[in-house]
Amino acid sequence: MDGSGAIVNFSLIVELAKRDFIERYSGSALGFMWSFIYPLINILIYMVIFGTLMGARLPGMTSVWGYGVYLIAGLVPWTAFVNTVQRSSTVYLDKKNIITKIHVDLPTLPLFIVLSESITFFVTLGIFLGILLVTGFSFSPYLALVPVVYIIQQLFAYALGFFLGMLVVFLRDLKEVVTIGMQIWFWFTPIVYVFSILPVVAQQVLIWNPALAFISAYHDMFVFQRMPSFFYLSLVTGISVLLVLFDYFLFRKLEKDIRDFI
Amino acid sequence: MMKVQGISKRFKLYHSPADRLREILLQKRYHKDFLALDNVSFEVRDGETLGIIGQNGAGKSTLLKILSGIVIPDSGTIHIDGKVTGLLELGTGFNAEMTGLENIYMNGTLIGMSRDEIDRKKQTIIDFSELGEFIHEPIKTYSSGMTMRLAFSIAIHADPKCFLVDEALAVGDAYFQQKCMRKIQDFRASGGSIVFVSHDMNAVMTLCDYAILLDHGKLISYGIPRSIVDLYISRICIQSHTGEKAVALMDTKDTLNNHSNISTGEIEFDSIRILDSSKTVITHVHSDDEIIISFSFRSERLIEDPIFGILIRNRYGVSIFGTNTYLLHQKNNPLLPGKMYQVSYQFKVPLQPDDYLITVAIDNKGKAINSFDEYLLRLNDIATLKVVRNEKQPLYEGVTNLNPTINVEAITNGVS
Repeated sequence: MDGSGAIVNFSLIVELAKRDFIERYSGSALGFMWSFIYPLINILIYMVIFGTLMGARLPGMTSVWGYGVYLIAGLVPWTAFVNTVQRSSTVYLDKKNIITKIHVDLPTLPLFIVLSESITFFVTLGIFLGILLVTGFSFSPYLALVPVVYIIQQLFAYALGFFLGMLVVFLRDLKEVVTIGMQIWFWFTPIVYVFSILPVVAQQVLIWNPALAFISAYHDMFVFQRMPSFFYLSLVTGISVLLVLFDYFLFRKLEKDIRDFI
Repeated sequence: MMKVQGISKRFKLYHSPADRLREILLQKRYHKDFLALDNVSFEVRDGETLGIIGQNGAGKSTLLKILSGIVIPDSGTIHIDGKVTGLLELGTGFNAEMTGLENIYMNGTLIGMSRDEIDRKKQTIIDFSELGEFIHEPIKTYSSGMTMRLAFSIAIHADPKCFLVDEALAVGDAYFQQKCMRKIQDFRASGGSIVFVSHDMNAVMTLCDYAILLDHGKLISYGIPRSIVDLYISRICIQSHTGEKAVALMDTKDTLNNHSNISTGEIEFDSIRILDSSKTVITHVHSDDEIIISFSFRSERLIEDPIFGILIRNRYGVSIFGTNTYLLHQKNNPLLPGKMYQVSYQFKVPLQPDDYLITVAIDNKGKAINSFDEYLLRLNDIATLKVVRNEKQPLYEGVTNLNPTINVEAITNGVS
């Protein structure tokens, strides 16, 4: 019974992710097309407003598109990250109608969010790359590493989301705290600004921000066209793995209560 | 085969879920305990149907939830070889905006079918649900009957080894219910087992092979459905009894081992006889003949407003006919202490040849159907009524002879 559980659950994750993605636009005429239209419009707005209208430039760069690319390269993965963490943190309450009726493997349940957000991410990324192609942006070979960085980022998001998800079952207020926390975290991560403009003190604090590892990796690959720092990335990977292990340990202790409380 | 051993489940009742976390952190007690199940064990063999009965709060739902893996027990083991599907989760995860077919995939995956399996079975599922072209329409356009048809169809085709059924199967119209029942019979015949929770005692007695009675989380009794149902009803009578002297289950030695008879000890039962209309004792009765059922007893105290009841049931325990003097609006004289009485019920027996069982009861002060102030005596299946074929009567189908007259005449002005 337990042996086949893993395979069956995988198809459940895929089915949930698919539904999650389709549901957003179900009933609308353009349907799936909206998931292309939104990011396209957003990216264009950022590029045009910051690049040409406001004339924002990156320090040490002359390209008109430089700041727009910098912003989007950080914002798109950050959005995937935030959505994954936030939605995972409420997944057990959101999917209550299923969990209280059918036996569902709880630790793997947030994976459908990871998957669904990944679809959005890669669609947006594709559009972004398309626009870059049109603007004559020079692509660095390091861009091939984007999926690797993305996997590390989502592993971290899953570890964090799963942890919060368990706690939110007991402490419902926590989901508001998560929302606010993610806002603050956003501003403590160099996404709209550049790390080097910060005072040294702030830099020394921000260096401990795990999100800095992957956000600056995207900046390296897209904007600065250099190899991302694998030291920080592997550090985040290590933290994520430890956190996942801790999550499982905690889950084994709390599973009975979680199922009773949902 | 399902083997449940020593299942206990204690729910901790917290003021708020946060108290649970506080408890872990502060190592202090913030809850009240509620014992939902207390050391429950039973077995359901292949092809067997087990009924679970009990009052509200007895632990029936908790037990079903544990069997389906939604709730984890504190102790005990469950052994099930094969997949368990609950009919309580009929249509779980259905999305109104999506088509029937898309929902087959979602719901099917949820109840444990693989994609290949659904690919293979979807046509059978659609055919069984008889939704036809509607399967390509969003579920929001379905009637509730159609939705249930689809849900049941998916569930029954998931090939579980065991079905968990909560309450009666209210799936669609009478025609589709028949179809479902046939499908369930097939399922049982092929070795599938069913755990059935219901408040419908007749359904439990007709559908189940065995039954268990739960009360406050404890398994009170396990046995054939009719005796478990009797015990359940007796226990309810004991609870609602308001007389000075408590009513209790009788010692089995005195009552032919029927463990569900109740008495306050204030009525001393003497004997029961079945007589024909000329008042001679008979061993059997011909269908449609008149009989007298007569029993005698001694009253030990003054019974102000006595009510005498009789119930005839078939071999499965399903009621064929039952009434009492309260329902017949018949006022009886008070029973006096120390006196012997005889009660006779006289009636015709237009029943199909078979063995029937007679239950008699004496109560005091009626309030409503099957509700009295005092339940003084209830003797379940105290006598057997053997009905044999009456050669003078025609053959018929069903339970009772309605004695029809059938007329055929030509319609003179009929237009064809």
